[in-house]
Formats: sequence, structure tokens, C-alpha cells
Amino acid sequence: MINAYVLTVMRPGNTDKAIKEMRKLENVEKISVVAGEYDIVIRVHVKSLGDLLKVTDKIQLIEGVKKTTTQVIEKEIAL
Amino acid sequence: MKIRRKYLFYALAFTSAIIAALVSTIDSTIINLYISDAWAFGVSCFIVGALISLIIILFFSIPVKKKSLGSRVIDPSFRRLRLFKKEELKYHLIAGFGNSILTIGYFFLLSMLRDPSTVLPFSQIAILYLVGIESITEKNIPTLSEIQSSVIVVFGAILGSISLTGTITLESMAIVFLVISPAWVLFSIYQRKLKMLKIDNRPNDALNIRFWNVVFACVFTIIIVTIYDFLMSSGHLLAGLNASIEHFGWVALTMGITFFSYVFYIRALGIGKASVTQAVRASTVLFAIPFSIILSYFNIIPPITTDPVMILLKIIGITLVILGIVSFALTLFKAYIFIRVKSGYSIEETMEKLWKINGVTRVAAVAAPYDIMVKIRTRTLVKGYERIVRKIEEIEAIKEYRWESVLKEWEKI
Repeated sequence: MINAYVLTVMRPGNTDKAIKEMRKLENVEKISVVAGEYDIVIRVHVKSLGDLLKVTDKIQLIEGVKKTTTQVIEKEIAL
Repeated sequence: MKIRRKYLFYALAFTSAIIAALVSTIDSTIINLYISDAWAFGVSCFIVGALISLIIILFFSIPVKKKSLGSRVIDPSFRRLRLFKKEELKYHLIAGFGNSILTIGYFFLLSMLRDPSTVLPFSQIAILYLVGIESITEKNIPTLSEIQSSVIVVFGAILGSISLTGTITLESMAIVFLVISPAWVLFSIYQRKLKMLKIDNRPNDALNIRFWNVVFACVFTIIIVTIYDFLMSSGHLLAGLNASIEHFGWVALTMGITFFSYVFYIRALGIGKASVTQAVRASTVLFAIPFSIILSYFNIIPPITTDPVMILLKIIGITLVILGIVSFALTLFKAYIFIRVKSGYSIEETMEKLWKINGVTRVAAVAAPYDIMVKIRTRTLVKGYERIVRKIEEIEAIKEYRWESVLKEWEKI
């Protein structure tokens, strides 16, 4: 299984609507609206890199999404 | 479907609290009318409870359109009844032992005080123990606001426990502080650890956790009561076995409802910190009052006092518990920190250094443009700077970092 963070930059004015669309996506585990360089951090959990591409494609097609950067998790320590 | 994590958390914790109040009322009825021996009640509730839990979990294992019934209506992580995994065993042993001790202690308290609206507030003292334990096990030193909230809840609980029937004894205080609360901490912390485990790449489910907890608690209760009987030449085990048969209906009713109370509680534990979950569940003290009035009306417990001082104390106690819960819930900040590491430094070693910082809940090595992503949790932004940012800046390997405060979050549960 592959976990990744998709860091998203939004165009102003579309965030709420875009989040609604993101919440409907399969394989999306967590959506965090953040303040800083990015606007939304999305955590995805997929079976393969092919599936990761499909999810990021779907995110990029959502209206209001300006740019995405995908960070694939190689190792993780968590509570 | 993703919903706001905190909404689900509060829904689960409050539902669990309402059911817990109902269960305490039934327990009080049983102990006042049918099984006055707390040891025997403990034995019978776990024997009957294991059987009832098995029936319930088998029912929820029934497949409906490729998914189990339990997955559809109770916990999306549930598939079917399964054997516990090797990595779960030690957690089940500790949580089962905790449940066994706290249940016997709780029945002793109930047989002494009789009124559930008195026993339930008293049992909320466990929150103080939880905050202390979490500061050790979860690398999360309690902040002033957490300590304030805990103390408010505890004092509220104590005030709530001395009202309605006006009974309080040193013996009952000793049971709460030395038996119930420590056992509850074991039970609660290790059930949370079980819920956080991934089983076959899926989150662990609350139904299997609850079922196996009852089974382990049953084994521990029988062992403890057998040793006690052997040492004291008493016959509580036999009395418990008899009670299981004679009062099967009542015990099955209380254990069946308890099953759902704990399933919701375990799911809430998987979302919030154990102390916060406990704080929200403390609202059970409110829900117990109407049930106590009903019990008093039917003469199952002594008449409720009409002394205005006692009623005032009860109102103050409830207000404090609610205030404590609200202040607990409203003071938590989360943030991501994106980090680039200097070339020539080990990412893994840097991850280990970051992991040691208090308040860090997740450290992930990622592939470009950043090298490491850190998730942090803090009660105040000042503490976030003092305890986290300063520590990060001390790590030589870090080239640059960016702080991204989380404003709102949704999560798949």
C-alpha cells in the first residue's frame, strides 16, 4: 500500500466547493485546510502508483485547484 | 464519505455516555433487587456478557451486499468476528485485566452508594489519571488548560457525587481512587492502543476489540474471584455462576446494552485522546439524573433529597463538569511542518530527532520537494513555538522548514 500527501494550491473563491468534491473521492483519508504556502493537504491511501496517479488526476480536475504537488511517503512514525 | 472528525467523535462519545447512564440504572436495579454480592455480579456479568457479545458480533457478521451488517451500521472497519492477532494479545491481556478490576470495583461502589447518579460522577476521577498517563505515553505534556479542565471536571464530579441521596464514605473514595480509576486507565489506554493498530492494512474494529475484551475480562474475573474464594473460604464464584443462570435475563440485558456503549466509546477513543474522550463521556453524569429519579420513584434506591443545599451542590457539580468538557474540547491546534534536510545528513536520523520532540504526532519521510513532513498537536500556538519550533531549529540537519497551521480537517473514519 502507498500513502502520500497531495499538497494543493487553490484559486481564491472555490475552496469550499472543491473540498466537497474532494470528500467524495475514494482513497482520500484526510483533508486538511491549512494556512501557509499551500491551501489544502490531502492524505491518500492507494494500492499502487497507478492508483495514486488516478487520484491526483481527479484532484487536479476539481474546479478551483490551481496546482498540486505529490509527496509519496517512504517511511513513517506515528502515534 | 468524509465528515468532520470532531462531529463523529462527539456523536460517538455522547451516545456512549447516554447508554452508560442507562446501563448504570439497570446495574443499580440488579444490585438492589437481585444480586447484592458485587463479586458474584462481576462473575455473572462477564460469563453472560461473553455469551451475549458473541451472539451480537455473530449477528453483525452477517453479510449484506458484500459488506457485513456491522460494517454498515456500527463500524466501517468491521468485517466479521475474527481471532485476535498475536500483536494484539498483550494489549488485550492488560485491557481485560483493567476491565475485570474496574467492573468489580464499580459493582462494590454501586452496592455501597446504590444511586447511579452518585456513582457515575465519582467514576469520572479517572480523567486525572488519564491526563497524567498520556503525558508519559504520548509524548504530550499536559498544558495548563488541560490541567485546569481536568481539575474542573474532577471537582464537578465530586460535588455531583455527594448530592441527590447525600451519601459519601471514605471507603467509596478509596475504591474510586485506588481501584476503579487506575483500572479504568489500563482499560482505556490499552483499548485505544488496540483501536490504533492496523489489522490487515485496515483500522482495527471496535466490535472485535469489545468482544475479546469481555472474553479476557471474564477469564481474569474468574481467576481473581477463585483466588479470593480460596484465601477467604468464601463462595462468590459459585454464587456468580448461580446468578448467571437465575438472573440471566437481567444480566444479559445490561451486558447487551453495555456492548454498544463500549463499541461507541472505543470508536471515539480511536479518534480523540483518551482523556478528551473521557471528558466528553463524563456527560453521562447528566444523563444519569432522570434515570435515578425513576429508580427513586419505584423505591429501588432511597428517596432523592429535597435539601436545597444538596440540590445546589449538584447543579454546581454538573456546571463544572460541563465547563471542564467544553474547555477541553475547544483548545487544540494542529499543524504540518514541511522540512528540507541538508545534503550529507541522514533523513532517518533526522526523523528520529524530530520524533523525540513533545507534541509531534507523526513524522513521514517523503519524496520531493520536501524531505520530511511532520504533524504536530499543541494546545496553544505559544507552546507550539516554545516546545516545537525552537527544538526543530536546534536540529543541525534541517535546511529549512515551513509551518502550515491546520484550519479545518476532515477524515475518513
